[in-house]
Amino acid sequence: MEIRNEDIKKRVNIREIYRYLGYGAKLPDSSVDAMIREVLEDLVNVIQPRNLYKIYTCSTSGTIVVLKGANRTLAFESRNLASNLAQCRQVILIAATLGIGADKLLQKYEILNMTKATLTQACGAACIEAYCNILQEQICEEASSDGQRFYLRPRFSPGYGDLPLEYQKVIFEELECTKRIGLTLTDSLLMYPTKSVSALIGLTSNPQSCHIGKCRDCENLTCEFREPAE
Amino acid sequence: MNFRELLGKKILFFDGGMGTLLQERGLRTGEVPETWNLSHPEAIRQIHKEYLLAGCNVVSANTFGVNAFKCKNLDCTVDELVTAGVRLTKEAIAEVRGECDHPMYSALDIGSIGKLLKPLGEISFDEAYDAFREIVTAGSRAGADLILIETVSDSYEIKAAVLAAKENSDLPVVVTMIFDENGKLLTGGDVASATAMLEGLGVDAIGFNCGLGPEQMKALLPQMTACCSLPIVINPNAGLPVVVNGKTVFNVAPDEFAQSVKTLVEMGASAVGGCCGTTPAHIRRIVECCRDMEIRPVTDKNLTVVSSYNHAVYFARKPLIIGERINPTGKSKFKQALRDHDMEYIYKEGLAQEENGAHILDVNVGLPEIDEPQLMQEAVTGIQSIIDLPLQIDTSDPEAMERGLRYYNGKPMLNSVNGKKESMESVFPIAKKYGALLVCLCLDESGIPETVEGRLQVAEKIIWTAAGYGIPKKDLVMDALVLTISTGKDNANITLETLRRIRYELGLHTVLGVSNISFGLPDRSRINTAFFTMAMNNGLSAGIVNPSSEPMMAAYYSFNALIGEDDQCMEYIAKASSQPADKPAAASAPKAGLTLDEAIVKGLAESAHEATVRLLEQNMDSLTIINEKLIPALDVVGKGFEEKRMFLPQLLMSADAAKASFEAIKAVLSKQGKSSESKGKIVIATVKGDIHDIGKNIVKTLLENYGFDMIDLGKDVDPQRILQTVQEQHVRLVGLSALMTTTVVNMEATIRLLREHGADCRIMVGGAVLTQEYADMIGADFYSRDAMGSVRYANELYEKGEL
Repeated sequence: MEIRNEDIKKRVNIREIYRYLGYGAKLPDSSVDAMIREVLEDLVNVIQPRNLYKIYTCSTSGTIVVLKGANRTLAFESRNLASNLAQCRQVILIAATLGIGADKLLQKYEILNMTKATLTQACGAACIEAYCNILQEQICEEASSDGQRFYLRPRFSPGYGDLPLEYQKVIFEELECTKRIGLTLTDSLLMYPTKSVSALIGLTSNPQSCHIGKCRDCENLTCEFREPAE
Repeated sequence: MNFRELLGKKILFFDGGMGTLLQERGLRTGEVPETWNLSHPEAIRQIHKEYLLAGCNVVSANTFGVNAFKCKNLDCTVDELVTAGVRLTKEAIAEVRGECDHPMYSALDIGSIGKLLKPLGEISFDEAYDAFREIVTAGSRAGADLILIETVSDSYEIKAAVLAAKENSDLPVVVTMIFDENGKLLTGGDVASATAMLEGLGVDAIGFNCGLGPEQMKALLPQMTACCSLPIVINPNAGLPVVVNGKTVFNVAPDEFAQSVKTLVEMGASAVGGCCGTTPAHIRRIVECCRDMEIRPVTDKNLTVVSSYNHAVYFARKPLIIGERINPTGKSKFKQALRDHDMEYIYKEGLAQEENGAHILDVNVGLPEIDEPQLMQEAVTGIQSIIDLPLQIDTSDPEAMERGLRYYNGKPMLNSVNGKKESMESVFPIAKKYGALLVCLCLDESGIPETVEGRLQVAEKIIWTAAGYGIPKKDLVMDALVLTISTGKDNANITLETLRRIRYELGLHTVLGVSNISFGLPDRSRINTAFFTMAMNNGLSAGIVNPSSEPMMAAYYSFNALIGEDDQCMEYIAKASSQPADKPAAASAPKAGLTLDEAIVKGLAESAHEATVRLLEQNMDSLTIINEKLIPALDVVGKGFEEKRMFLPQLLMSADAAKASFEAIKAVLSKQGKSSESKGKIVIATVKGDIHDIGKNIVKTLLENYGFDMIDLGKDVDPQRILQTVQEQHVRLVGLSALMTTTVVNMEATIRLLREHGADCRIMVGGAVLTQEYADMIGADFYSRDAMGSVRYANELYEKGEL
C-alpha cells in the first residue's frame, strides 16, 4: 500500500512526541518545540516507508490463536493476544518500516547534536506509529467494502504482554520481511532498521470494542510515558 | 564453449522460480527448501530437468537460502546442502544431455544472509564475508560453472559476497539485484551506484531480479544500459505479487511474460530468465520468443565514476569539488584528535564539507605514531555510516590502502600512485582488485619533471603500465602537480599546460591540490581562487580544495555558470543569495550579553562559548570557571530535571552548551600545553543483543560534561569485551544499559562475568524495563532511573575517592 511521507507527517501526533520526551501532559517551550518540528521535517525527508500485510481468518480457543490463510496456518499461544482477538474473525498481519534513512539520521545527530538525536528518536517513534495507523485504517477500509463494516482492535506485537518475542520469526518468515522490505531480525529478535513495527491487528464487526489508543490499555500505570486520561 | 565465452555474445536463458514448484510437491510451511537437496533429491533434480528441457542454459542450484546463520537451526551443514545442491544441477544436466544440444551450466546460487551489516546493523563485514566464503568454497568444489549472487539489495553485503566469490574461486560471477519501482535498493543505493561498484569489483554480468515484473523492469532498464559496460541479466517475477486469500500469487501468464521479456532483450538485456511465480512454461515461452534474437552489443560506456552506497558521481565537463579537510598535515588539532582517537572530530570535518557543497571527501588519517590501517578502516566505515558522499582514500601505506578500499561501500577513489616503479607495483594490484578510481601523480624516480613534456611522459608511462594490470584509462585521474609560484615564476604555467594536454590530448580526467600554488605567499586565498578558475578553464576535472573557503566556492559556482553548466544560473543564485543572509544573523545574535551560567541554563551553545572566552580573557582560571560557573549551572538544570520542572531536551541542550564552553577552555589549555583534568574513567555500553543506544548516549553526554573520561563501547557489546576493557584500563565504574526484558539477561550475564573475574569496579545500570528490584536481583551496585541519577552516583564515588 502506497502512503506518502507527507501524509505520515500530517498524521504525526505532536503530543505523542512530547510524551516520548518525558513532558507528560506539559508542553515544551517554544525553542524546543521549534527544534522538534525542524527535526521532524529532516526525518520525513529521509524516510523510505515500506510495508507488507496479509489478512487471515482467525479463531481463538483458550490461549491459542489460529490464523488461517490460503495454504498456511499460523498458531500463536498467548492469553493476552487471545483476549485481544477474541471477537475477531479476521486478523491482519503487518510489517512496516521507515527504512534505514531514519537510523542514519539518528547516527548523524548522535555525533553532531545529542539534543537533536533524542528528538529524532522521539519523532521516529511517532512517525512509525502514524504510518501504521494510516496503513491499518486503509486496510480496514478495503476489507470493509462488501457490505460488512469492520473496526480495528489495538495493534498487538510480539513482546507485548505474554506474547513471546519468538513469534517475530513466524511473522518474518510468513511475510518475507527481509527479502521484500529489507527488514532484518537480529539474533536477539530485534529489528533493523530500528524504526519498524510487526504486529497482529484484529478486525471486528463490533464498533464498541474498537479503539486505536493502546497506551491506556497497558497495565503499567506508573509509566512515565503513559498517555494522560482525557 | 564455457559460460564466459558465450556471455554477452549470444542470448542466454536462466531458469525460473523454485519456491512454488516445491510447495506443489509438498514442501511444508516453515520447512527450509534447501533441506530437500538431501531429503527429496529426486524432486529437485526433476525441477532442474524441466527447466533445462524448456531450453534454459543456466540452472541455479537450490542453495539460495543456505548460510551459516540459517544452518544454526538445522541438523545439516552449509557444506552438505551446497554440495548436494550443486550436484543435483550437474546430474540434471547430464541426464538431459542426450535430448538437448544447447549449452547448459550449473550456477551456485547465493542469496542474502538476511542480516543488516555494521556499522548500522548487526554483523560485521568480515562475518558476512566468512559466511559467503563457506558457500563459495563448497560450491566451487562441487563443480559449479558460475556463481549467481541474486535477490540482494544491500550494496555492502553484495560487496562482501563478490569478494568472497572472487577470492575463493575463479568462476564467473553474475550479480542480480532487487530494486524497487523507483530504482532503489532497499538500503538506498541506485542503479548507477551499484553498477559502478560491481564493474569495479570485476564481476562478469549484472542485472535485476525479483521484486518487480518484466513491465516494471522495462522502466528501469534504461538506467542500467546508460551506465553499464557489462552484459545485463534480467530475471523478473511473473508480475507484481498479489495477495489472494492470504496467499501471494503472481499473475502474468507465460505468453504475456515472454512478450515483455522479448522487449527487455531488444532494450539491451543479454541474458533473461524468471524469478518468483515463473515456471518451466514461462521459460519455454521465453526461449521460443527470443532464441533467434541478436542481443545488443555490449559496449564500454567509458565513464569515469566513483560511488558511495547510495549515489554515483561522474567526472564530466562540470568540475567536481573534493574536500581536503580530513587530513592532519599542518593541523595540530587534527593530529591531536587522531592521537586521542577522537573520531567525532573527523566526522564533524566531513559533515561540514558535505554541508558546504563537496562532492567527494578526501580521507587522510596518516600519522607516524598511529596504526594507520586500523584507523583508515574505522574512519572509512564511520564516515560512510553518516555521510553519503563518495570517499577518496588518501595514504601512501599500501596496507592502509587495502583496508580502506576493502571496507569501503561503493566504488572508491584512491590517492595515489606515481610513476615510480615501486609505487606502481604496489598500488596497481590493489586498485585493480577493488576497482578504485586512481589518482596518478606525474612524478617518478627522477622527481617532479620541470617541463610539460616531462610530466606528460610520466603520465603516459603510468597509463601503459596500468593497462598491463588491466586498469583502463577511464579509471585513472591525473594529478598534473602544483608547485608554488613563490619558488618559480613558470610553475603555474607548466601545471596549466600539463592539465590541458592531459585532458584534451591524452583524454584523461584530472585533479589538483589547488592551494599548493600559493605556498609561502601572504593572503593565499586570492592567488588560490584565481588559479582555481584558470585550472578549471584548462581542463581541471576535480579540485582538491577546502569547501569551507567562501572565495574558492564562489569561484567554482561562478565558473559553472560561465561555462553553461549551471542551468539558468540556479545554483549560482542559490549560493549567492544564501551568503549575505547568514552574516547579519550571526552579527545580530542578541544573546551576546548572557553570562556563562545563563547561557548554560538556557541551553545556548554559542553564547556559552562566547561567555567562556570572555571569562578566559578576563584571566579567570579555567578550573574556577568549571567549578564555580559551569558545574553549578549544570546542577541547576539537573535539579530542574529531577523535579520535573525541566525536561530531557532542555537537559541535553544545556549539556551541549556546557560542551561548547569546555571546548573554549580546552583550546586555551592546549595552548598552554596543559590538558583538562579527568575525574576518572567510566566504561559505558549497551549490553549484548540490545541495539538501543540512545539512552546510553544521553548518559555519556552528561557524564562527559561533569568531567568524567568516558569509554564508550557502543551497543550489542559482548560481556567479555567489557571485562577486558575494565581490566586493561583499570576502570572503577561501569554503566550498562538494556531496553528489553529479553536483553536484561545479558546485563545479568555481564555483571556475573565481571564479578567472577573479581573486577574491581562498581556497576550502575539503567534502561526502560529496569526497576530497583530488578537491578538488585541481577547484582548491580546502583540503579539509575534517569540520566541524572548516574551523574549523582559517579560524583559520589569521585568524592569518596573511589573512582
